[in-house]
Formats: sequence, structure tokens, C-alpha cells
Amino acid sequence: MEILTGNELMSGATVYLDRDGNWVEELQKARVFLKEEAEARDAAIAATKKTLRINSLEIETVTLREGVIHPDRIRERIRAEGPTAPRFDRQHLDKDGHVSI
Amino acid sequence: MYRYDEFDAAFVRERTAQFRDQVNRRLSGEINEDQFRPLRLMNGLYLQLHAYMLRIAVPYGTLASRQMRMLAQIARKYDRNYGHFTTRQNIQYNWPKLRDIPEILADLASVEMHAIQTSGNCIRNITTDQFAGAAADEIIDPRPVAEILRQWSSLHPEFSYLPRKFKIAMSGGPNDRAAIRFHDIGLQAAVGPDGEIGWEVWVGGGLGRTPMIAKQINPLVPNEHLLAYLESILRVYNRYGRRDNKYKARIKILVHETGIDKIREEVEAEFAEVKGGVLNLPQAEVDRITTYFAEPDYERVNEIVDVAREKLSDPAYGEWLDRNLHSHRQPGYVSVTISLKPIGGAPGDITSEQMEVVADLAETHSFDELRATHEQNLVLPHVKVSDLREVYDTLVEAGLATGNAGLITDMITCPGLDFCALANARSIPLAQEISRKFQAPERQRQIGDLKIKISGCINACGHHHVGHIGILGVEKKGTELYQISVGGDGTEQAAIGDILGHGFVAEDVPDAIERLVEAYIARRESDDETFITAYRRIGDAPFKEALYGAQ
Repeated sequence: MEILTGNELMSGATVYLDRDGNWVEELQKARVFLKEEAEARDAAIAATKKTLRINSLEIETVTLREGVIHPDRIRERIRAEGPTAPRFDRQHLDKDGHVSI
Repeated sequence: MYRYDEFDAAFVRERTAQFRDQVNRRLSGEINEDQFRPLRLMNGLYLQLHAYMLRIAVPYGTLASRQMRMLAQIARKYDRNYGHFTTRQNIQYNWPKLRDIPEILADLASVEMHAIQTSGNCIRNITTDQFAGAAADEIIDPRPVAEILRQWSSLHPEFSYLPRKFKIAMSGGPNDRAAIRFHDIGLQAAVGPDGEIGWEVWVGGGLGRTPMIAKQINPLVPNEHLLAYLESILRVYNRYGRRDNKYKARIKILVHETGIDKIREEVEAEFAEVKGGVLNLPQAEVDRITTYFAEPDYERVNEIVDVAREKLSDPAYGEWLDRNLHSHRQPGYVSVTISLKPIGGAPGDITSEQMEVVADLAETHSFDELRATHEQNLVLPHVKVSDLREVYDTLVEAGLATGNAGLITDMITCPGLDFCALANARSIPLAQEISRKFQAPERQRQIGDLKIKISGCINACGHHHVGHIGILGVEKKGTELYQISVGGDGTEQAAIGDILGHGFVAEDVPDAIERLVEAYIARRESDDETFITAYRRIGDAPFKEALYGAQ
């Protein structure tokens, strides 16, 4: 299973593509693409690139356990939560940081 | 300190205006990220895991109090109230927003600072000994020549697109505190047979995935010809350096694969062409730049500090004196290291309020000068011995009086996977745990000089290869593992550490370090034999056994 993630242009904040085509801060709202949804995933990537507003766009593999999304890589778990030391809140989107496809 | 002339000031102002326009065009969608990325990187703006990161150049690690105050103001206004000093004597902000960057650059320009050439395949910030111009063991102050090299290398049209980034470090004396043998070019002040002072030139050193100790390419290049000689090295590198493979593109690979003799031959041929031309450096120009670095107006005092006596009356103060002072060339003065390694803290981090305290101290007690060190600390270079108590008390109030310079808790640590997009494993939490484990002052004192250096990936920003104990974070099947090496040394006795064996999970690393420390203490010939000296005598077998048992 996969999700799409990137960094929003103005704030640099970590964002995820949700089911409604919005790029949001919450990992748990991310749309999970199944293996057979590669076409939809690629269409979402293409549409996102057209916005010019999401950088470092990546496909990340995840595991779904009891409805909770767990990124497979440590890197992605830290991206979702913010730095572990010193403990800082993650970067948030600015008011005009909303991006949709 | 060097002050911008009209050209410098106009250039930095123009560059800021250009970047403001580039940011506006990116925000409006006129240019895309592929077009914008090289432009932002030319201005030190990276995109990391959680946010943008802005890296600001601190030329040869020297700052005036007004510059430090501006760094504090920027951190407060545009970031999260702190900055992070790096192993290249620069400072980084971890949370700026893109639209604020032009304002930050304008604020920096107002105090003669910028972020140019802190990224990209160009000549980066030139680093030096943090005690330059103050150290008792110095042959000459390297900063005037460092400033000349800064001017030469800034926007050098021929060297803006090198095969890979290029780092130069300088030491004004034989005791290398700038790790010059682990830079693309290392320059060490040297005295010729007739008493003339010049530069011993080393080339092809580096860390990263292929650590190399630099080779001496020329035992003595006089000031007059230094620019021409360095230009010749850069030309040879630019011509023959590999561009087909990023991992083999640094000059260290070229020197290693070609051989130093052949490289020297090529450089000498180029030098013969360039020498005596426009790159000749007249003594008058050296003298002109040197006036910016004139000795401060020292008082004629001769007070010395009685550390032993102070230890009896105030152990914490005595310990700080013992560890954080460095001998000064001027009687009655010392250089003071301000440790940015509080117990359990993030190495190199400093808050806005602390920056302002340090700026005030520089202004009142160090002729307005500060230094950033490649070991992620700060230095007040010229402090009168009679002012030490006042300086210490002020640092205590600001939480900056940790007396651990050069001890086990004074670790170099890269930002690691908590911030860096390249990292494979976290570094800072590990440093914090090791720091807490060894926090007792008496324990640190018992262990003595010991440099631990931690990198969160093979790029080695944390200099793990040259740690007396080096720690490298890797990721294996979704778990962070840490390889431990011993025996590295970044000084004139340059050595690359030996990996002792398989890696450890993070929770087990502090105990592993303790076992290494115990193995050392059990085998040292006396309390004065340091870890690295003992290692050189006994080799790595006892340390392997300490970690993995008898083989």
C-alpha cells in the first residue's frame, strides 16, 4: 500500500494527499492507494505536479493496522510527527497554504 | 574585522533583490521547482524533511556582536527562536518560510552577511582555527589570507560549476584545530629555510563515504603566489574531476586515482602559466586587508589565572576555567570557549536570548569579536583574565557555562534524521543520551580528553571518521543501527577511525561507549595518557573485545 507525500511550497510543511484531492497535514487522512490503483496514483501525481505547489513529491509505502496508517520508513514516521529531539511541533501550513488537485 | 567595501555591499544588496524577484516568480507560478531549485540553493536555501533550511555563511567563523544580534533577531522573527551552528562554522535556521527568505537576506545584508555559496558545486565558506589571531602557538593570523581567498572564490566565474563542492580550511600554525587534512585543500602556515612565511598546501582530503587524508602537494607557497597556486589546483580539478558519478566527483577521488605526483605535475604546469599574472598578490594588498585584522588595543596586564585555587573555592568555576580557556598570545588575556553542548542538549543549538548574551559579552569583554568553531561551539577570542569571573557568571545565568570543552560530552553531532533529508538515522537523541550518561563532572574529568563525533549518514557531516570514538548511523530493515569506530583524529596527527564491528541499536550505544571508556581507563599508563594516545599504543583489539567479547 502506498500514500503520496510532499512539502508544501510556501511553508515547506509535510503534507499528504487525502481522499478528496486535498493536500493536508494529517498522515491519517492520507489516501491509501492499493496495488491495483497505480493508475489513479499516477494521475494524482500528474495533477499535483501541475499545481506547482508541492515539492519533493514521493510515493511512500505504508502498512495499515487496525485502520491506522504506519509508514514503513523511519524517515516518514519522523516527517509525520516532527523532530524527536529537540522535540518540536511539525511545520504547519500557512492560511494560504491549501493545495488541491 | 573585515568590513564590506562599496563593491561587496552593492553586490550583496543586488543579489538579495534578485532572489526576492526569483521567490516572487516561484510563488506566482511563473517558474517551477526545477527552475527555482538551483536559484534557491545558490542562496543557501535547502528543503529538508519538515521545512526549508537556510544556511548562512560565517566567513572563517568570525562574527561581530552586531552580526550575532541580527542572527538572534532573525531567529526570533522568522524562525523558532534558535539557530544551529555547524561543523563548517556556519549557522542554520531550520524553520523559515519561503516568502520570508528575501527579508531575512536583506536583514543579513544590513550587517554584511549572506547565504551565498553555502550550497552547490562551488568553493564553500573558508574555515579556520577558531583561535586565529589570538592563539599563542600561531605562526601567523590566517584571517587576512582567508579574507583574500573569500574574495577570490566568491562568484569566481570559472569555479561556480565545479564537478562537486569544494572546501578549503586554514591553520595559522602547526597545531591543526581546523581539520585541514580532511578538506579538499588544507593550508597550514609554514616557515621557509630563510625565515619566510608561506603556506604548506595539502590537497585531496575529505570525509563522506570515501574518507581520505590529504596529501601534501607543496611544502611552501608564499603569499604572493597563493592565489595563482590555488587557481591552478582548481583548474586541474575542474578539468579532470569526474562529472559522471556524484560519488566519485570530489577532488580526493581525483588525487587518489591519479596519484599525487601526477596531480602535482599538472598543477605545476598550470601554475607556470598563471604565476606572475593578475593573480599575483602584492604585499601591499595583503597589508591593506591585514589592517582589518589589526590587533585589538590590549591593556598591558600580566594577570594569570590560578585554576587550582579557583577549583578549591568554586569547583564548577574551576572546572570551567580548566577546560574552556585557551592560551592567548597577549599576556593577561585568554580565549574562552562557550560550550554549546549543555548536558542533554542538542549540540550547536543556541537560542536568540543566548545569542544576545554572547553578543553583549563580545562587545564588553572581547573587543567585539566572536568565533564559531567547527566543533559547534563559540569563542570569545580576547578576554582579559581579570574579567573571567564576570564572563563566567553571565554565562551561568544564560545557561552557557558548561565546562566541558574537549571532554566526552563535547560531541560534534550532525542534525541527523530529525531534520536532514539525506540522513538514515537520528544523531541528536543519541548525543543527548551519551551526554546524560556521562554528565557527572568528576566522571568526565576522570576520562579526560575524548572526542566523540556522530553522523546520521555516510555523508559524515558529523565528522565520525575523525572521532576518537566515531558513531555512524545507518538504517537496516527499518531499524536505526549505529556503527562504532575508534582511533580517528582530525588534527595534524590525522587518522581515520577503524570500525570495530557490527552496529548497535540506539538504546545500546551509551553502554557500548561506556565499555570503550572502561577499556581505555583500565589500560592507560597514567591519568595523563589520553584516549587517543592510548589507542595508538594498544590498537583496537582491546576495544573490539570490550564491545564484542573475546574473538
